[in-house]
Amino acid sequence: MQMRLFIPREHARVDDLNASLEAVLANNGVSPAIQGDVRLIVEELASNAIEHGDLARVEAEEHELCVDIAIREHLLTLEFRESGAPFNPLEQPPPDLDADILDRPTGGLGLHLVRQVSEQASYQRVGNYNVVRLTLRIPTEETGP
Amino acid sequence: MSLRIEILPPGKGSQRVAVEGRLDTHTYEDLDEALAPLLTRQLHSLVLDLSGLDYISSAGIRSIFKARKTLAPHGGKVLLVNPQPQIQKVLDMVKAVPLNEIFSSTAEADAYLDLMQRRVLEAGEDED
Repeated sequence: MQMRLFIPREHARVDDLNASLEAVLANNGVSPAIQGDVRLIVEELASNAIEHGDLARVEAEEHELCVDIAIREHLLTLEFRESGAPFNPLEQPPPDLDADILDRPTGGLGLHLVRQVSEQASYQRVGNYNVVRLTLRIPTEETGP
Repeated sequence: MSLRIEILPPGKGSQRVAVEGRLDTHTYEDLDEALAPLLTRQLHSLVLDLSGLDYISSAGIRSIFKARKTLAPHGGKVLLVNPQPQIQKVLDMVKAVPLNEIFSSTAEADAYLDLMQRRVLEAGEDED
């Protein structure tokens, strides 16, 4: 299974993107737990790009968010691509999780979650795009009685 | 509508709110708005019933932090009840909630609240 989805850089469209992804994953027998992880990754990366991404100087029609998803055997690969200024979301400092719970800064939690749920994650600047590639392991399901 | 918020009748200094669906970038403002008038000086515990919540992201976590921060100056707490596996996993990954503020059922949370209430009363009696 392999597919590519594009959306404009708008919060409201991220929900549509996730709805489509969820339907595709469900049709391919991916468990609700992994569907939740994928939703989390896409929401956090997309929100971060929309809220903080300075747009690179490229043609307006290129300002889209793009997700490629592929399932091969027990590995789900997700590629997230956006046309912001160069930014590596995987290299941001981790939030201070041990600070007093009332004084904790609440920034950085989303990208921390992305790193936590992914088995592997890598970043590459490709032309005008920030490209993040992530893999998730799909647990083997017991087959038949 | 991907988040349903049910505000239950208030108890003595405690308020239960049940949330169902998804608490994320698209819905956290609805929760912030619904909670704002409830987070008064008189409230010593906000009990969030998460039994029906399927999904939470960092935006949802920030809403919980925000409620906790509003209540803290007058000793109020946010208690979470029955988080589902995805929710529990996300809460754990960001160490969002001290273990003694998560309960597996509303009965368990009620028992804790009763105990707190009794301690407050006993402390009051001792002072007389």
